[in-house]
Amino acid sequence: MDAAALDALDDEAFRLEVRRFVEAHYPPALRNPPKRLHWAENQVWYRLLAEHGWLAPGWPREFGGMGLSAAKQLIVIEEFERHGCARTNDHGVVMVGPLLIRYGSAAQKRFFLPKILSGEAIWCQGYSEPNAGSDLASLRTEAVIDGDDYVINGQKTWTTLATDANWIFLLVRTDKAAKKQEGISFLLVPMDSPGITVRPIINLELHDEFCEVFFDNVRVPRANLVGEENKGWTMAKALLGFERIFLGSPRQSAYALVRLKRLAERMGLAEDATFQDRYIRLRLDLEDHKALYETFAARLRRGEALGADVSMLKIHQSELFQRITEAMLDIAGENAGLLEPMEGNRALHPSGLFIQARPATIYGGSNEIQRNILAGNVLDLPAT
Amino acid sequence: MNPDADDALRLIRDSAAAIAPRQGDLGRIRALRFTRPGFDRAVWQQMAELGWLGLLVEEARGGSGLGPAELGALAEELGAGLVPEPLPFAAAIAPLLADAAAVLAGERIVLPAWQEQANTLAPGAATRFAGGRVSGAKQLIPMADGADAFLVATADGLALVERDAPGVTLDLAMTQDGGHFGTLTLSDAPATPVPGRIEPALETITLALAATALGVMDRAFALTLDYLRTRRQFGRAIGSFQALQHRAADLKLQLELTRASVAAAAAAPTPAAVSRAKARAAEASLLLTRQAIQLHGGIGYTDEYDAGLFLRKAMVIANLHGSAALHRARFAALAPDMTE
Repeated sequence: MDAAALDALDDEAFRLEVRRFVEAHYPPALRNPPKRLHWAENQVWYRLLAEHGWLAPGWPREFGGMGLSAAKQLIVIEEFERHGCARTNDHGVVMVGPLLIRYGSAAQKRFFLPKILSGEAIWCQGYSEPNAGSDLASLRTEAVIDGDDYVINGQKTWTTLATDANWIFLLVRTDKAAKKQEGISFLLVPMDSPGITVRPIINLELHDEFCEVFFDNVRVPRANLVGEENKGWTMAKALLGFERIFLGSPRQSAYALVRLKRLAERMGLAEDATFQDRYIRLRLDLEDHKALYETFAARLRRGEALGADVSMLKIHQSELFQRITEAMLDIAGENAGLLEPMEGNRALHPSGLFIQARPATIYGGSNEIQRNILAGNVLDLPAT
Repeated sequence: MNPDADDALRLIRDSAAAIAPRQGDLGRIRALRFTRPGFDRAVWQQMAELGWLGLLVEEARGGSGLGPAELGALAEELGAGLVPEPLPFAAAIAPLLADAAAVLAGERIVLPAWQEQANTLAPGAATRFAGGRVSGAKQLIPMADGADAFLVATADGLALVERDAPGVTLDLAMTQDGGHFGTLTLSDAPATPVPGRIEPALETITLALAATALGVMDRAFALTLDYLRTRRQFGRAIGSFQALQHRAADLKLQLELTRASVAAAAAAPTPAAVSRAKARAAEASLLLTRQAIQLHGGIGYTDEYDAGLFLRKAMVIANLHGSAALHRARFAALAPDMTE
């Protein structure tokens, strides 16, 4: 079925079509991976998606995407999550493609978009810096014009899967005199440029998902600027689309709650009154979270844009996920300290899930920042 | 979502503004507190004219044939207005009454009497009905002093008992919100049988109480936000302090979880969904109204200021028709747990 025909289906028929596709094509060995997979492991799925035209559900069809509505894109992600599909190295599809389609030059579109769809160009995101995390606009990596090039100096960090990438999209400072949000530009840089050094960071999962990326007099043609100089911040903000709803998807908490139940059964606590009370509270929190998530999904289905109130979903989901894993540690006894799953059973790994839940309240805008956003933009409280 | 259904809900909310405007002052509510019967029959009449008593009664019998979702929307608005008239109780049992014309017209007030102990959703069965006479005792009847008759749940079916019939005694205990609970003692009181079961009506009322609590906390929160924006200390609005902003964000989250939970239950009112909504609404309404007092500081602790009215209403509504703990347990018993 081609993209136009898929787009014409009603939501339920479309959901079944997505489900059929995933069940027919997803590599069984990659279901529910315990950690974020590297390109070497997940490229088979990326290429399968590309081959069947499913890689870029949100891109317009003229650029090789599926041109689906936000509501249908939501269904794609929900069905992929439901099946336990691994996340691919998706920065090109999710971030760079929409950036170029909206702001890129004709030459940039022609050059980059096909390479994203073919998997030739694998991207990482150069936003955060050691001194620009929650306060991203204070970033200091700078790009100075020298002839036909920009010369870049500085450092990025928390760069997810940078060791897999051959391109990086960067926010750089191009005007040090302007107000901090107004001197920032978007640059596209090959990772094999002389002067780039990548150093993996081992996180609390003992996994090298993040990297630091250093720039020492890295030269990139001025043609690699996206949009206008000094408009990078505005473009980056405009890219924060309906995808923000996924930070509030109930999937992680739903998965963790099942694990909690299994662990309680293994520990002989399933009928314990104290555990039961805690468990039912968590279950009700999850059910009500699903109801709240559904009200946002319904807005997307009606074609409405999401407002700043979507921050509520992110806060509640991530904190619920953490509370569930905290309950797992509490009931696991000494197993709470094990490095590996209990009894060699991947389904019984309280310490692993607990560690995995820690960054949920940090990434995607820390929950403290999300609360600031709610207070200022939704509750209309005065600026601090 | 069905656009017709959305329209019906909007109409109901708009009509509620006639009696309980969101921005209205609470002078009427204050004046009725701790009085008898604690509500106003003229307002009751007005509610009848707006068609609220017949909301759940089928159209062929003079009602509007609407459902729990519409009653919930109405209850939410009445909650926001702290309205003391026991409308959801009367409206939920109206479909059971055979000769309902006077009830729908607001001339006759019939309230349900089913409880024989605190914190339950099961009608007590110690009350007996035989030979046209009822004996037993029912308690925790909100605003009972305003009723002309009671629909009494007995072990032998439903019985309609006139308030002034021989063998009927009504004792009142004031409640924190300025209303009261009635205890109805029946000694061979004459009664007429009413076909049907009260349990479905109790579910409907429970959902309406969750919606009432939602309205209470929603307006208490609006009052609090307004105060955070305008009250100045240390030379700035106190709402600019991050500690208070984050607390407000957390309260907003609980408010919206409750709204989503109540809406989901109204759309598909299974007993499990009703319990889920009531458990959330009970805890969240107490949280938001407690915090309304705290965030107002000293003024919040005065009876003159409105914040306390919302807390006292929440204290009554939260445990009516079962506490949060009761409803959590009921949800666990009723809702199948997910599997992988």
